[in-house]
Amino acid sequence: MTAIAGPSRHRRTLACLIAATAIIVGACGDGGATTAPASAEPGATQAASAEPGATTAPELEGSISFLHKYSDPRYAPYFEAVVAAYMAEHPKVQVEIQAESDQGVKDKLRVLAASNTLPDVYFSWAGDFTKKFVRGNLAKDLTGDVTGEWAERFTPAALEAYTYDGKLYGVPITLDAKYMVYNTKLFADNGVAVPTTLEELLATCDTFEAKGIEPIAFGNQFGWPAIHFMTQLNPYYVPAATLQMDYAPETGAFTDAGYGKALDAFAEINSRCLTQGANGISHEAAQANFLAGKAAMHYIEAVEFFALTEKGGAPADLANNWDFFMLPAPADAPGDTGYLTGAPDGFLVNASSEQLDIALDFLNYLTTLDNAKKMVADLGWLSPVQGSATADNTFPQNVQVIEDIATATGMAIWLDTVTHIDVANAYLNGVQAMLDGTKTTADVVADIQAAAATAKAASE
Amino acid sequence: MTGTTRRGGWSMLLWVAPAVLLLVVFVYYPVVENLRLSLYRWSPFSPREVFVGLDNYATLGADPVFWSSLFNNAAYAVVSVVFQVGGGLVLAAVLEELVRGRLKGLLRTIYFVPAVLSLTITGLLFQFMYNPQIGLVNGLLDVLGLDAWKHSWLGESATAIWAIIAMSQWQSVGYVAVLFIVAMQRIPRELYEAAYIDGASRVQAFLRITLPLVREMTLLAMIITVSGAFLVMNEVWVMTAGGPNNASHTLGTWLYKSAFFNDQMGYAAAIAVVIFIITMTASILQLFLGRGKAVQY
Amino acid sequence: MAGTAARPTYRGGGDGVGSSVGRVVAYVLLIVLAVAIVYPLVWMALNGFKSNAELFGDPWGLPTTWRWENFGKAWSLGVVRYLANSVIVTGASVVTTILFSSMAAYALTRHRIPFAGPITVLLLGGMMLAPTVALIPLFRLLQAIGIFNTYWALVVLYTAFRIPFTVFLIRAYMITLSRDMEDAAVVDGASRWQIFWLVIMPISRPIIVSAALLQALFSWNEFVFALVFINDTELKTLPVGLLAMQGRVLSDWPVLFAALTMASIPMILLFLAGQRQFIRGLAEGFGKG
Repeated sequence: MTAIAGPSRHRRTLACLIAATAIIVGACGDGGATTAPASAEPGATQAASAEPGATTAPELEGSISFLHKYSDPRYAPYFEAVVAAYMAEHPKVQVEIQAESDQGVKDKLRVLAASNTLPDVYFSWAGDFTKKFVRGNLAKDLTGDVTGEWAERFTPAALEAYTYDGKLYGVPITLDAKYMVYNTKLFADNGVAVPTTLEELLATCDTFEAKGIEPIAFGNQFGWPAIHFMTQLNPYYVPAATLQMDYAPETGAFTDAGYGKALDAFAEINSRCLTQGANGISHEAAQANFLAGKAAMHYIEAVEFFALTEKGGAPADLANNWDFFMLPAPADAPGDTGYLTGAPDGFLVNASSEQLDIALDFLNYLTTLDNAKKMVADLGWLSPVQGSATADNTFPQNVQVIEDIATATGMAIWLDTVTHIDVANAYLNGVQAMLDGTKTTADVVADIQAAAATAKAASE
Repeated sequence: MTGTTRRGGWSMLLWVAPAVLLLVVFVYYPVVENLRLSLYRWSPFSPREVFVGLDNYATLGADPVFWSSLFNNAAYAVVSVVFQVGGGLVLAAVLEELVRGRLKGLLRTIYFVPAVLSLTITGLLFQFMYNPQIGLVNGLLDVLGLDAWKHSWLGESATAIWAIIAMSQWQSVGYVAVLFIVAMQRIPRELYEAAYIDGASRVQAFLRITLPLVREMTLLAMIITVSGAFLVMNEVWVMTAGGPNNASHTLGTWLYKSAFFNDQMGYAAAIAVVIFIITMTASILQLFLGRGKAVQY
Repeated sequence: MAGTAARPTYRGGGDGVGSSVGRVVAYVLLIVLAVAIVYPLVWMALNGFKSNAELFGDPWGLPTTWRWENFGKAWSLGVVRYLANSVIVTGASVVTTILFSSMAAYALTRHRIPFAGPITVLLLGGMMLAPTVALIPLFRLLQAIGIFNTYWALVVLYTAFRIPFTVFLIRAYMITLSRDMEDAAVVDGASRWQIFWLVIMPISRPIIVSAALLQALFSWNEFVFALVFINDTELKTLPVGLLAMQGRVLSDWPVLFAALTMASIPMILLFLAGQRQFIRGLAEGFGKG
């Protein structure tokens, strides 16, 4: 799509997690509590690291190319500004930006890989998407480069998302999570409380539906929005250890009955909550309905929260009246209800880059606390750099997200980027087919299992 | 050939050299190379080719998306022949026969205009027209009281390709009509006058005079339309990217998606071979039918 | 027409009562069709002036205020760049295509050259080969020769793939030219190159103009090559650039409509200016095998 046409922001889904498995956020451990105070202590770290990266020694000279997927005019200026500032500090360095859209970057990266023209620094989603570059020897092992103060800046889970077989391949730039945002005014006016179980959510939808209000604005034109639901539902219905096995191409089978149940749950959400005909509506068009106060809820990424603020262009009516909650789990969920859909996004370094020094120095600069704070302030995103989001530089919902992420058991990486492309396609296409009634849950499960078998065979 | 041809000699080969070189290097060689590549497997991430024989073709035969893409191309061809060639022919005849003066020129121009626009432009425009909530198409159905006919046109497997095909008819019917108008203008008026004196109606005149005399043009238009229908890619990629659930892919978009999304370059080359066979057949047919037998005026 | 059956008693085809009713119906239908064809384009232009809220709230209505700034925004968000790229690629490919095709047509029609038969077959046979078929190998070839992701990639391919059709058009025209002027020029001592430029090209002007217009239309709208062989946002031509732009301004449809409207204008103007030559070229290309 480069055209693809595409739409937008998507991301694909799932994943499970981080770290090898792990899914845990924060220090990976389990103790959400211990990691919680994330924002406090990082302050200290950052102070120590005030000097941006390194760079002292010999003056850097040369040029690098830098591909990101934030070409949206709301986001691109931040990257342009940081690059300009970097070049001002290093007058003999040229950083050439290639900006793609979220949808457009998917095929663009493949074209670049196939043509052996990957930029020195390029965007990649965590999960199997990044592993492809690793397998093709197209991504540099950064284990020995991102160390010391630089490594300590990041929330550990964010680095783990880009770690394979104990080696680090990516530098995270954003931290993202998926939430149901809701119009607090519509909720209050209709006497609806925030649902805490999936069943309650469905009942809430019925209430809105009965009053002629669109319950959840939903556009699924390119398939990924539905996959984000699945990213969140799978961990609710399937035990974490099983998920981990299935999401890895080498061991994936998808035979757990939970996968079918998760799809059934989505079908139920669809029929009672979601905009119908969603395959023909873009996510952004659906969002316009939520922004206009015509829909009660909308399932979006934290990086999109900015669009719901006045600064981000939302009408005041909505900007002052929204909050969010996690897609609730069913009351009797067999899986782990502490998993939150989300992942860091980050950059890889071209293994055959002739300007490794500059590439690394630039990435270091991009992730200094100062620049991370600027990103949080300018774009309303969350940064994996600890201590970058405070009540001073962002809106209250974002501060809440940070706290929420810190207490999650773990993060589920976008299902469509964490799994093998064949499995991802089976999900993307299968769920679209469920939405327009051409496939049943059983059909989709069969497709997914077949795709997993193909992926397994290919990875041997 | 009129006149005698001047002696050329070998130096005249330099005059054709640029054209010949460009064709050999950038057209003929890649088409042949594609045949070879279709026997290998490789992905964008690991350019090492692995010879797999006819595996890609076996995969092709078992791939439901390949077959539905082929079906979509065929649907494109059939609808386009009916609406663009058939509709264009009737439109041209009506315009030629009934309308005179400035209005005629104006209508002809209007009908032709969409054909000069990029399919990306019309595709994006129609993507919005087909939006189920705010699009003009559903809005129009509402106004007409045909609510039951409303669809998420590009979002349903059953309607997506047809919605794209419909857009294409809108864009191209005027183009084909104008071609027919040119052909019709070569028909001597006396033939019609004689027929009218004989008492023929306009419809009869159309059937007895116009139709036979634009027969060759019609055949060619059909072949070119069909062959074009098997190359469709731009509008599909823009409007649905082949979705939902791969339902609206054509061979062209499936080739592109296989190569650059699904990491199957060799498989994409095999799809290209199928496109090659189909379009080649159409071209040979065109050569065969187009040769000679100019209609006698 | 002899021997046809039914002979209506009224004057068919003339202006009888029956046919004037039919005529009115036909007129109405023709005009309805014209409206159906033009309306979406007008709607596109109007939407370029709306705000997002207006577009989603009242898609059929007129804009309440004319927001020219949408056009300015679209312009600076990339339209100006894509437009410039399209002009460069189109301009260059028209020049090379016309030049190489006329040279070849001239040599083949006005001279006796070795292997004229095979060369003609080779040049015209290229019409049978579809660009899509060559996509994957070209992807590697262009990298190997170092023009991947440059204007050259598109100029070279647009030229190579359109030479067959263009040679076909020009050859058919040159074949019919009389030799008199050429002979006169030879007597005057003109070189072949002079004859080509000063005699043949000027008298072939009508077909050259038609061929150039068709080549411009093709290059301007070509999508697949531009999609696959250009990576750089800075080098994208309109058809691909607009698509990339859609990915970027999803949240701002009026700006996209403004961009689409601006992108439509150059070809529409070119068509209006050269309508006759356009259509002639198409008809020639279509009508003869």
